[in-house]
Amino acid sequence: MAQKEYDFKCLNCGREYRALYDIKNVTERTCPQCRSNSVRRMPEKKGAAKT
Amino acid sequence: MTNSEVESVSGFVGNFNVTIRKKARYVDPDECTACAECANICPVAVPDEYQQGFSSRKAIYMPFPQAVPSAYILDMENCLGNNPIACGKCADVCEKKCINYDDQDELINIEAGVIIVATGMDVYDPTEYDEYGYTRFDNVITSMEFERLICAGGPTEGHFIRPSDRKIPKSIGFIQCVGSRSRNGRGNPYCSNICCMNTVKDTLLLCDHYPGVEARVFYMDMRAFGKGFEDLYMRSREEGVKYVRGIPGDVSENDENKNLVLTVENTTTGRREIHELEMLVLSQGVIPRQDGDQIKRLLTLSTTSDGFIMESHPKLKPVDAPTKGVYIAGCVESPKDVKDSVTQASAAAARASILLNAGKTRVEAITSHVETDKCNYCGICADVCPYNAILAPDRKAKRAPTIIQAACAGCGACAAECAQDAIIMRHFRDEQIMAQIEAILEVEPHKHLLTFACNWCSYAGGDNAGTARLQYPTTSRLIRTMCSGRVDEKFVLHAFRLGAPMVLVSGCHFADCHYINAVHWTQKRMDRLWNKLDKLKIRPDRLRLEWISAAEGQKFAKVMRELENSVRSVTMEEMEYTMKIMAEEENRILEKKLKAAAKKV
Repeated sequence: MAQKEYDFKCLNCGREYRALYDIKNVTERTCPQCRSNSVRRMPEKKGAAKT
Repeated sequence: MTNSEVESVSGFVGNFNVTIRKKARYVDPDECTACAECANICPVAVPDEYQQGFSSRKAIYMPFPQAVPSAYILDMENCLGNNPIACGKCADVCEKKCINYDDQDELINIEAGVIIVATGMDVYDPTEYDEYGYTRFDNVITSMEFERLICAGGPTEGHFIRPSDRKIPKSIGFIQCVGSRSRNGRGNPYCSNICCMNTVKDTLLLCDHYPGVEARVFYMDMRAFGKGFEDLYMRSREEGVKYVRGIPGDVSENDENKNLVLTVENTTTGRREIHELEMLVLSQGVIPRQDGDQIKRLLTLSTTSDGFIMESHPKLKPVDAPTKGVYIAGCVESPKDVKDSVTQASAAAARASILLNAGKTRVEAITSHVETDKCNYCGICADVCPYNAILAPDRKAKRAPTIIQAACAGCGACAAECAQDAIIMRHFRDEQIMAQIEAILEVEPHKHLLTFACNWCSYAGGDNAGTARLQYPTTSRLIRTMCSGRVDEKFVLHAFRLGAPMVLVSGCHFADCHYINAVHWTQKRMDRLWNKLDKLKIRPDRLRLEWISAAEGQKFAKVMRELENSVRSVTMEEMEYTMKIMAEEENRILEKKLKAAAKKV
């Protein structure tokens, strides 16, 4: 699994966080604060992703 | 067909074509009489896997006494070599001349109407529980190793001896739930189902073989459900086996006598206890087959979060895989004992025979079909199909994709992903869903909360909320789709174009998806939509996504109440701006499509 660190934002409570994620092998996302699934993966900034 | 592996599977229910690799065994099973002369003369000795490494076997060997066919097999990885022949003693001594060093793997094609997957499970390796000293201390063994030691056909012919000094131990401890019911990052969170009764059985065997032996079981809960199991458990207690409610935190070894010292908090008495035992058995849990990925990929099977194969429906179709014509039985589905495995296998065989005897199968009415004149042969439909039900198009030959109606389950992910609208989902056509959106938003659109709900989970979750009399806003309006994967980008954009303040897309949790992994496409599409809304300067948080199962009526009601509050935060100016932008966007998309169509003509 090629996981990278991405920025996420919960559209329910507004919490922003970074987490490891594999965009090819999609998994369920849940906001660690409000447990909503409306968690947006923020667009990648060039050179920001870390393996 | 033993010593074989499935190489490929194509086709669909009633018409599977399976290629099987029959591995070379280098011994003709029809001629071999299992006289063992070859094994007797073989100079190579390697650990015997069947005996858990407690004894050795030769490079030419019988895997276990009851193996079928009853013939020897040559382990070419450990043989001294056949090209050129470095040893050849087994061939020299074989009177029947049934050893053939040039034997090759054979590919066999068979046609099958149905497939039953019963590939079993593996056992958990407790090495990572370092505090128990497995592999560090000689006298700490696993329950599988215990089985071999106590078995009459085992390496010690049933004499239960401890590895350090080959003496019969007088006190033996069992630690339960090793690798099971663990949420601390080691092992697995699920209960392995069989370990409690296996330990009860082991203690009874010990008491039977060695009267007076002291057996202690360290457990967190003894689970003895099932016919006769409670009686068996009580019998074990009556035989004098001590059950201590508490899992040891530490095991150390006495250097002098190699005894094991366990520190445990007895949660019944609330006291810290120290136990010295001559031998310790770790009751290891079970895990999904580690080499099961190939079969999962070939048959488009999906797994639950614990890694076991997911059934089509946990209550109504417990032995059906989501792929039509494929059935599952035994521990490949979840950890279970022999009785449950046999029951499930019988059910799977019966389900399979129903289909085979009928000679025909009913196909769901909700399937997709391709409008070939609209297709641009991109092939995205074939990529997204969780069932491999779409034969990919051929751009050069200008051949549109073909949908195998018997294999299509009707999730609609292909129709939602097709940018050309070339795929029509029967009973859930674009026009039908668009008409529902328009009807909902015809009057006072700013007051309505538009929700797309999948048939199996979220819609049922809404039903659950209703039957439980949970209160949620009356302004919510649900549009049912078979899967959230059917929710096309244009449905969401059209809803905003008509003045919807908020849109909710809801579907099954990933592990519950009725269509293998169609929800993955929902998640990907939502990411695209959020980015698109952002680009169009529309707040992405006006589009929400929630995974709601059929049992989560409370979550459904809670989400609806929360979104009702969010609806109030959307101003009229914001909605007007959105409608204007979306109208422009829809016109732009339409123009693009018309241009593409004109170009094609």
